[in-house]
Amino acid sequence: MNKTYECMVLVSNQEVRKGWQACKQSIVDLFGKHKAGVVSARRWDERRLAYPIKGQQRATYLLVYFQCDHLVPAAIRRELDFHDSVLRHMIFQCEEVPAEAHEPEVAFDEARVGEDGTPSTPAPAPAAAEPATEPEPATEPEASAEAPEAAEETKPAEATEEEQNQ
Amino acid sequence: MSDLDFDRDFEEGRGRRGRFQRFTRGKVKAEPTQPIDYKNIEFLSGYVSAQGKIVSRKRSGFSGQNQRKLAIAIKRARFLGLMPFVGRS
Repeated sequence: MNKTYECMVLVSNQEVRKGWQACKQSIVDLFGKHKAGVVSARRWDERRLAYPIKGQQRATYLLVYFQCDHLVPAAIRRELDFHDSVLRHMIFQCEEVPAEAHEPEVAFDEARVGEDGTPSTPAPAPAAAEPATEPEPATEPEASAEAPEAAEETKPAEATEEEQNQ
Repeated sequence: MSDLDFDRDFEEGRGRRGRFQRFTRGKVKAEPTQPIDYKNIEFLSGYVSAQGKIVSRKRSGFSGQNQRKLAIAIKRARFLGLMPFVGRS
């Protein structure tokens, strides 16, 4: 029984600069080699990695949707492990192929793909005063936070009484 | 147990409710505003702490099912270099 799978492949930018179509085709051929029906294969993004992978700071992401038998992904994983231009990959089952996957690939200049350590598009300057994007806690703040303030307010009055007693 | 014993226990904080029992508030449920997907980095970044840890259900307000989806999506994004394991990108 055929199932739909999603595969995200990190491709080295050095290989992409040599020729994106050839690089992409070499990866897509691996899927065809194991009789997996490729539904869609398109460049998802080129971005800076959150941490270096195999010495690379930037990589191009290739997103592939394919349909095959449940035994095939293991064989494809093995093939991708030994592919020279693949930095990392991940295959997992998905419910359905999204509509975006059928859209044509956005054209880009292969020769000017961002080199390591030099982003192709300058990142916006981080705003220092920008509040944290962390979601607010679902629970309301406890009323006990106001208690210390109330305690401080009562302290001076007590202190004055003690002075009067002395 | 005599009434005298009960009064003494109550004064010392060993009443029927227990000394360390706390008032629990009702859980506030929340639904994800965007689809939980490992490619949706901006959305996922809102559910990690400054150290890069996945926030708890108490903070996210998600149901158990959505919290599991969130955790899986964040872990996939980390593996693919889209999100850092430690700290914030």
